[in-house]
Amino acid sequence: MRHRNRIIVGSAFGLAAIAVAIDHTRHSVPEAQPAAITQDQSVPSSTPCALDSNPCALGGSNPCSLGRTSSPCSL
Amino acid sequence: MMSTPQPADRPVIITSLLVITTLFAFISRAFDLHQAWLLLVGVGIGYVLMHALFGFSGGWRSFVRERRSQGIRAQIGLLALTSLLFFPVLGGMFGVTGTSAALAPVGMSVLIGAFLFGIGMQLGGGCGSGTLFTVGWGQIDMLLALSFFIVGATLGSMHLPWWLTLPSLGKISVIQSLGWLPALFVQFSVLGLLYFIVLQLERVRHGSAQALITNSNTSVTHRLIFGGWPLWWAIVALAILNLATLLLAGHPWSITFAFALWGAKIWSALGGDLTAYSFWASGYQVKALNSSVLADVTSLMDFGIILGSMLAAALAGKFAPEGRLKPRRIATAVLGGLLMGYGARLAFGCNIGGLLAGISSGSLHGWLWLVMGFMGSWLGVRMRAWIQQEGRTA
Repeated sequence: MRHRNRIIVGSAFGLAAIAVAIDHTRHSVPEAQPAAITQDQSVPSSTPCALDSNPCALGGSNPCSLGRTSSPCSL
Repeated sequence: MMSTPQPADRPVIITSLLVITTLFAFISRAFDLHQAWLLLVGVGIGYVLMHALFGFSGGWRSFVRERRSQGIRAQIGLLALTSLLFFPVLGGMFGVTGTSAALAPVGMSVLIGAFLFGIGMQLGGGCGSGTLFTVGWGQIDMLLALSFFIVGATLGSMHLPWWLTLPSLGKISVIQSLGWLPALFVQFSVLGLLYFIVLQLERVRHGSAQALITNSNTSVTHRLIFGGWPLWWAIVALAILNLATLLLAGHPWSITFAFALWGAKIWSALGGDLTAYSFWASGYQVKALNSSVLADVTSLMDFGIILGSMLAAALAGKFAPEGRLKPRRIATAVLGGLLMGYGARLAFGCNIGGLLAGISSGSLHGWLWLVMGFMGSWLGVRMRAWIQQEGRTA
């Protein structure tokens, strides 16, 4: 039984790893954007290639706004 | 009854260490070191959760069923310590820039979402963090719960704009309203009162309360590596790792945005059209959708949590425990996963992104999440007991 479970879990992890690899190759890594057009100035400048990893600003700009309605922060 | 210690699972230890190291090196190269550190923070969280078996749903279930409050008191301790670390940072005491609170509106969306999540976490057998670390542990029923968690979160993201049209008081930050020091004092007072109440309820029922700080004959080093952590170790470690997340990522630890993102990416890959859904049409969401999943901090940390708990489970010799999936367990895992996913999206996060991050960063929606999540959990415990009872009598 335990051996069977290990195979199931291992297969699921393997499939997930393949899916992540496919997704990564489909999307090029975002280029660093010039400071002038950066949406959220509070994002640490040391992360030019990551997504703006700050979806919820306490004040100021709010990159996760849905536009017309209130914003779904705490993503 | 004492369980016999299992020998460490060497193949799984080696595999998980190899994957963690390779992923760390890859992310450092493809993104930057900053992003790679966040993977390791996730690994650390998963390792701690597994070795301490620290979860929210089990603690709440013990309290509802047996009036045992050890788990809830540990959660209150985590909330207090995390608040102590977060409030000065978010209040600007240290002049740290680029950090933001997990603020969300106090409204019907959170009220209903947290209630649904509370039911789901009891049926599914794990909360947001609990689902991830039990998947890393290798529990196949939790793989099923996670799959439907993703489905629920994706559906929730599609419906969220409608839910946001329901009445709401807007975002309320106690740090902004009172200043971080008075707000921290109020926070500690409320948490202290809660601690006292649950402790007294346990003492009334049982005559004494289970201790949070326990002794063991096993050496500290052995426990650090092979598991059996006391809850207070987990409280300290999780609070520090959450602070590391806040400083590195700019926001507190969160889990479930990634699930909606994975679901949306899968839906899109299968030919589904996301353009009709306004949640995925703007801001951070559309950027995340059009970028590698490894660029999203929440996804990266979730992967880290699974890998960290896998490593810890292998060290403890517990990886992929025995167990057969029974039809009733399949049904509760599917229903629980769906409710958790949908509820988490409506409530702006699960027990981590909504409750822990919300309360610890001074957002009033976190307290609403706690109340409604607990009420849902109470109902979920009853439903789970009824389903198990039916299973025995059928």
